[in-house]
Amino acid sequence: MAGGTVSIDRLKEEITGAQYREAAETFCRLIVEEGQPLRNVVHSAVSAAAPFVQVPSHLMKKSDGEMRGVNYDHTILGWRGALKLTPHLSRERSLLPTVQAMWYAPQGLNIWEQIICEFPGHYARDSEKCNLKYPGEDPDVDRFDGPAWSPPKLHFEDHEPIRTASVDEGIGRLLNAISEGDRAEAYGLFLGLAEDPGNRERLKEAILFAGIIDLQDTLINRGGYQNIGHKALRARALVDIADYFGWDNAHEIIYTVVPDLGCSPRLYGLWTEISNVAKVELSQLGPIPKRSHAPLTERELDQLTHTLLWGGPYEVNAIISTLLRRGTGLLDVTDGIAVAYQRYLMDVLEHPGAFSHPMHSFDYLNVVNHWLRTYDNPHQVKAVYMAARFVNDAFRANAMSPRDPKVELPPRSEYRPYADKVAIDRLLPVLQEAILAQDAPRACALADSYLDRTAERKDLLETITFAACHWQNDPHVMRNCISSIEEWTANRTSRRDDIIRGYVKHQSRYIKRAKVHECLDLYGQHFFR
Amino acid sequence: MNGGDSMASNTNGTSVAPTADTVSDVEATEHCALRDAWLLRNATAEALLRAEEHVRRLVERADVAALIALVEAFSPARSPGPEWTRSFEPLVERLWAWCDSERMAALEAEFRARGLPWMAVANDLAPERGAELRARLRQPAWACFPAFTIG
Repeated sequence: MAGGTVSIDRLKEEITGAQYREAAETFCRLIVEEGQPLRNVVHSAVSAAAPFVQVPSHLMKKSDGEMRGVNYDHTILGWRGALKLTPHLSRERSLLPTVQAMWYAPQGLNIWEQIICEFPGHYARDSEKCNLKYPGEDPDVDRFDGPAWSPPKLHFEDHEPIRTASVDEGIGRLLNAISEGDRAEAYGLFLGLAEDPGNRERLKEAILFAGIIDLQDTLINRGGYQNIGHKALRARALVDIADYFGWDNAHEIIYTVVPDLGCSPRLYGLWTEISNVAKVELSQLGPIPKRSHAPLTERELDQLTHTLLWGGPYEVNAIISTLLRRGTGLLDVTDGIAVAYQRYLMDVLEHPGAFSHPMHSFDYLNVVNHWLRTYDNPHQVKAVYMAARFVNDAFRANAMSPRDPKVELPPRSEYRPYADKVAIDRLLPVLQEAILAQDAPRACALADSYLDRTAERKDLLETITFAACHWQNDPHVMRNCISSIEEWTANRTSRRDDIIRGYVKHQSRYIKRAKVHECLDLYGQHFFR
Repeated sequence: MNGGDSMASNTNGTSVAPTADTVSDVEATEHCALRDAWLLRNATAEALLRAEEHVRRLVERADVAALIALVEAFSPARSPGPEWTRSFEPLVERLWAWCDSERMAALEAEFRARGLPWMAVANDLAPERGAELRARLRQPAWACFPAFTIG
């Protein structure tokens, strides 16, 4: 354990210096030893990172003329997921996701420089394997694991607020600036609008809308020309974290998120297609309710599932139109999409590396559902199609490559007799072990058995979440955990427990960025004493 | 009176059991539909068997270059879509059933040499995968074809 006096300034230096181990330790000590409020420490960490999470573009032209995608900031997604998970974990476990977010944040700065091997972090170290290309003096030391040898690069300066005569004018200009890629105007307008507490609910709705409509039409053979839902995911992170900090204290989280919503590429092809489909199919219907008295029947759930898993994009459009024209509500349909998605996880997905795009589509669906559940907007029906299309496209993109027989899984049913023999009061610890062992068929069978034998769900969800948060370096874990919990909580179909089944499969199979549990050990040293 | 009128005249917002007449109408329709469905299934099976036989003759005669060209069509860049690529696993079953070990070894060597993007394909062409598939496909002596995946 590192010694010396800890301080917020020290934490900020460690973050910008890409010293993630040190930053995580300082973070823990500030909370445990110094008694600093969690909110203040997280705010300081987000503030330190804020200037260094922007990129000039999410497409980089290489010297050979090829284009490559530039990753989206994930630090903020980790923070948002972690903070939302806190109430879903018992007291002694509740800050583990937040410490994991802290562990990750210094590894996720200055992404543009990381992918060209000019700054350390997890992209440079793991994805780009920069140390093989540009090793340091000691071949046994990966210098791209940090610390940084130069300050992170600032790609987007902070700006002053832009104030408008009315909120309508301000939001109209904001949405236009984002779609036109005028990042400075969008950021300034957002800051100006956020000054007035009376504007904030409308602002939250508008920024979610702006994020949701920016989505690739397909992932198939698109390389880096996609965003896998990150504009929406970032918008949700802004809304939740600004609520957590308090909007009078939200400047840095706004700085973290809003400029990037206008960053290129901005993808409105799918939005345009769906706008046309909705005009043709639904214009005679009148207002479509959020919920109806005629939710999806079991047969309709089967049809929707079959279409999302095995159909093509126009079949997806058609079934969504059919359901809405039949009188189902928006959330009735998205609930159906959420449980249909699980069948893909449960029955089809095997390769640990193939979870990523489907996972993003589910997390995008979660943002759409949050927007539908919380706000009103006449365009919301289009987001139902968008979510369904993204889910279907992620499955289709995976199916463009033949499956690898080396990663074939035995069916979960093989382990059901074993699972049924585990005493119910011992089952959750055994499930945790199976997830930690990444033994997906066994973990899934244990979950199936538990779900059949008891109506208890809270402890089950906590077990899965705690096990998932053992792994470090990956903020997707926290994000997917909270998406799964939120969707299970809100889902009204008879199949809502499939969300738990899919959650277990995901967390017991999804590829891990690190096999070691250093961050968990650090957490244990400080919080399990 | 048809079933719809009967339902409408007897309900106050709740459904009622159909009448005896309605039941016999429904049963007759279902019997007819079932027979037609089975007829259609038999015709489809016959068409599929003939298609499988055609593929078998071609695969048995194909040289390694032709087989490589066929497998290459399953790369994400050449595939016309997921529906085509999903048929790779059924194709692999048939290659192992109808190609000799020499050609299969040549196929594996070709795709193994192409590196990571073709790893999944090479693994499907590996001898241990072949042994596993050939055992799985073994049918009773009276069966026309091995136990192939249809879809």
